[in-house]
Amino acid sequence: MTELAQNLIDALALGGLYALIALGVTVVYTVMDMMNFAHGEFIMLSAYALFVLADVPFGVAVAGALLTGVLIAVLAERVAFRPVRRADLSAQLVTSLAVATIVQNAVVAFVNARPKSVATPSFVGEATQIGSLSVPNLEFVTLALTAIVLAGLGWMLYRTRSGLAIRAASENFDMARLLGVRADRVIALSFAVSGALAAVVGVLLVMQTGQVSPTMGLTPVLVGFVAVVIGGFGRMSGAVIGGLFLGIASSLLGAYLPDGLVPFRDAIVFSLPVAILIFRPHGLLGSAIGEARV
Amino acid sequence: MLELRGVKVAYGGVEVVHRVDLELGSGEVLGMIGPNGAGKSSVLRSICGLVRPSSGEVRFEGRVLNGMAPERIARLGIALVPEGRHVFKTLTVAENLRMGEMDGREDRAAVERMFTRFPILRERAGEHADRLSGGEQQQLAIARALLGRPKLLMLDEPSLGLAPKTIDLIYELLAGLREEGTTMLLVEQNATRTIDFCDRCLVLGSGIVRASGRREELRDDSEVVHAYLGGAR
Amino acid sequence: MSAAGLRTRRSVAVSLLIPLVLIAATALVGVNGTPSLRGTVITILSNMVIVLGLQVFIGNSGVYSFGQLGFAAAGAYVAAFLTLPAAFTALQVPGLPDLIANAQLGPLPSTLIAAIACGLLAAVVGLPLMRTSTLAVPISTFAFLIVVYNVLANWEEVTGGVSGLVSIPRTTSIESAALWASVAVVVALAFKWSASGYRLQATREDEVAARSLGISVNGERLLAFALSGVLCGVGGALAVHQSGVLNPATFYFAATVTTVTMMVLGGARSVFGAVLGTVALSTVNEILRNVEGGASVLGVVSIGNTPGLAAIGVGLILLATMIAMPDGISGGREAGELPWPRRLRRARAAALPALSGAAPTEKVPREGELRAEGISVAFGGLRVLRSVDLTLRRGEALGLIGPNGAGKTTLVNVLSGFLVPDSGTVSLDGVDVSGRSPSRLARAGLSRTFQSALPFPHLSCLESVAVGAMGVGVGRRRAVATAAEVLDRLDLRQLSSAPAGSLPPAGQRLLGVARALATRPHYLLLDEPAAGLSEGEGEQLVEILGGVLDDFGCGILLIEHEMSVVMSLCPRVQVIDDGTTLRVGSPTEVQADPAVVEAYLGSSYPVAIGA
Repeated sequence: MTELAQNLIDALALGGLYALIALGVTVVYTVMDMMNFAHGEFIMLSAYALFVLADVPFGVAVAGALLTGVLIAVLAERVAFRPVRRADLSAQLVTSLAVATIVQNAVVAFVNARPKSVATPSFVGEATQIGSLSVPNLEFVTLALTAIVLAGLGWMLYRTRSGLAIRAASENFDMARLLGVRADRVIALSFAVSGALAAVVGVLLVMQTGQVSPTMGLTPVLVGFVAVVIGGFGRMSGAVIGGLFLGIASSLLGAYLPDGLVPFRDAIVFSLPVAILIFRPHGLLGSAIGEARV
Repeated sequence: MLELRGVKVAYGGVEVVHRVDLELGSGEVLGMIGPNGAGKSSVLRSICGLVRPSSGEVRFEGRVLNGMAPERIARLGIALVPEGRHVFKTLTVAENLRMGEMDGREDRAAVERMFTRFPILRERAGEHADRLSGGEQQQLAIARALLGRPKLLMLDEPSLGLAPKTIDLIYELLAGLREEGTTMLLVEQNATRTIDFCDRCLVLGSGIVRASGRREELRDDSEVVHAYLGGAR
Repeated sequence: MSAAGLRTRRSVAVSLLIPLVLIAATALVGVNGTPSLRGTVITILSNMVIVLGLQVFIGNSGVYSFGQLGFAAAGAYVAAFLTLPAAFTALQVPGLPDLIANAQLGPLPSTLIAAIACGLLAAVVGLPLMRTSTLAVPISTFAFLIVVYNVLANWEEVTGGVSGLVSIPRTTSIESAALWASVAVVVALAFKWSASGYRLQATREDEVAARSLGISVNGERLLAFALSGVLCGVGGALAVHQSGVLNPATFYFAATVTTVTMMVLGGARSVFGAVLGTVALSTVNEILRNVEGGASVLGVVSIGNTPGLAAIGVGLILLATMIAMPDGISGGREAGELPWPRRLRRARAAALPALSGAAPTEKVPREGELRAEGISVAFGGLRVLRSVDLTLRRGEALGLIGPNGAGKTTLVNVLSGFLVPDSGTVSLDGVDVSGRSPSRLARAGLSRTFQSALPFPHLSCLESVAVGAMGVGVGRRRAVATAAEVLDRLDLRQLSSAPAGSLPPAGQRLLGVARALATRPHYLLLDEPAAGLSEGEGEQLVEILGGVLDDFGCGILLIEHEMSVVMSLCPRVQVIDDGTTLRVGSPTEVQADPAVVEAYLGSSYPVAIGA
């Protein structure tokens, strides 16, 4: 029983992490109609900020990571994505792939291909006792951050003028401009939010593994994409549901898979979306995207 | 207030508007009519910045608009109600109106005035805009444009896709705006009604201005009328 | 290989020859060179096969699959198993079944078996994947790639795990690689210009319109996906028989980015582009690799050993191409479609098949009707249609009019299968077709057009209309003949070779009518075909449609606001208001009905029509 509860909390925490990744991807998708492959590199670079700022108080380093995430996201938008704003979905996806390749290999070329270790505050590695459960502090942090981020996003989108502008622009960009919405600002804002979300994930990953490597963003971004697909595109709620589902499934599989199959956990997890999509082609919450109704 | 000199518009190598000159003074209502493909919508798009004229000048209150971003032009006081209305379907009626308030500050009094002028919108304020009928969406689009307090209101085929009865309603609303002194540029396919409604009309055909004048003049120019206006509706 | 009137023999020959010449030239460069150069050339050619595999699926469907390298990997492993001597197999992969482990085949049979295996694998994997939505495919296929990698890296007894396999016979020569590349070019072109290839391209151009013409989107994608799997499998086999070693990382993320870049650089829509892009990028890649190892640029600046530079270069090239040249170097055109100098161009105008001059081949029998009964649709709380009935007989034109928002387009969406009603039935010639998909309905004889035309921008007008016929299963040759005839009838013949995207909106809408007519429908539903037309153009449309009624004998349902068109063409008119039928009758009856006048026509409408 305790073990089950333990596994469930682990699963929830992983689900929260994946939900954050999926959210970061979705924020950009709702405005730009683009799945941003480079999101993984936003995560990676934010994590590297922690490596670079190793000698600085952790709180400051985290702030630095946040700043890095936001800056790199806004920069990538300005330089690489703005010129292809009018292109179709596939073209934008491929463009983001190019950006991801460039950034990832730039780190390989100019920093190092090997993973580097990063020191994290000691409380992160410890656990807190709740009854008979021993819950890693990191999981508390993850769950708390997920809840805060969700609330914050929801408030921003539905209670502020900027959020309204984002929603309007994501539906009909030109019309929003005709009403005075500054296109570039809205898009930059959505990328900034996305970058901040990526930074949160980057910090959590560093706290989890204690190291950074140039390829650390690849799996998270794919997880994020898969979560978005499972949940149903273009909706924040879909991203959260998809992320939770994937995280919980992945974690529980890791805990309960027979030994022989453990190495294949990733294969099983990444086969799940296909299974779901067979029965619900538009995701768990699915709404038909890209399917033009006349 | 608005001046176009020698404006040409091309899309990807195909010149759609070869040359348009027009002048619009404050408080005037100018109509632009002509057959499909004449370039009327392109002229509007070149004014509000959705497309850049390939040559010529668009001036608004003395300022050159060529190449300016649409949002800047909107903030200068030009509002466009585009063909097909384009209300934000995923937003409620109230949120659509809020998007019309350009300076971002909520102006309840102005919204209240809109509700008085367009009572159906008050009824539907909390509903998503995709639930509205075509005529109701048209009213929403106009109300939304008006909330920006535009100096110039441009409408692209407001009667498209609407039943004759609904068109009557829309034009009544427009007549009310005219009485209040709103400067308007009205693009329509339906020539007869437009000629009757506007102070002056431009007849566009194949990308150039074929005829222009006040309603009496145009009505008498039967050849032009016949070639470009078709039958009465 | 004459594409039956869609292009000249000369254009076909050029499109075939130029890529083959390019392959031969590449091969020649390496034939007498150093072993290192030979190796590079073979790599280029085996990559080319993979890129052609990518092009077959991605270029024709417009959908990106990032999992194709998974098939290359599968092909490579299968080919390796089949060519490794039994002793080596037993040593490296003890878990492999004896039948495979003991097999030791030559390069050709092993490559062929690998190809077939990959095709089957692709068909099986593609079955669920192609059912997902267009944006989910790239992501699902990426997931597939990860799954493949994960299995290959962890299933040690069967695959050798992360370290992979060694001592694989190195049998790929420049000649065999060039031969396979040439075969791949021929296969890719043949597919692109086949009826199936055209149907797939239609789904790329506009998925909704393609469905309305009877095309099964999932089916066509699956076919191309399987073919793509075959080609990628061949490429993988070729590669492994060159390098002699194999591990899971060879065909993973980096290789995916590289091959996709090659395709995009050349131009995804074109086979020529795939060939060109592979050669171009490989050349650049080689140069960058040398710089990576440490080189001096122009003897002035020296760069130390910096791994990753080549990949950055590839990424930059991909980025630059997407921004500046999204259609690639070839612009998406085959070699025979490029603008050649004037001298050569004279012979290029496609000779359309001569019109038979006789009346159209099959006249639709005049029996049968399309009947909708009790159709109700609600969107959330909004009732759009309340128990509406409609009957459309063959050989008659029925006008559907009513205020905007009354539910006319919704009704047409229900009739054509794009919307499932909350209740009610639709029957076609007495057969209940409720809930059938648009493509099935098209094949049963029901076609429609769309308010916004939904053209196929990159296909010529002739191709666009021919696709209509191909959609309902007609072979390519007959489809082109049908298309020529329909274009002639609609007075669009002179636009045959113009790209559909270059027509003005009214022309595109007319082309949409032509497209729907090419399916030889029994029932044709037209959604506001006269919107935006001038009076003269409207009259022309009425004439054309009248001719269609007489000659083809189909039933036409016309949603229109242009009263003159409806009244001239339709002996029967149905008025819908607020989701219900207000009146069905002749135009005069309808106009005189006070309820209709009140609800729809408004008080200022002139009572006498045709005045």
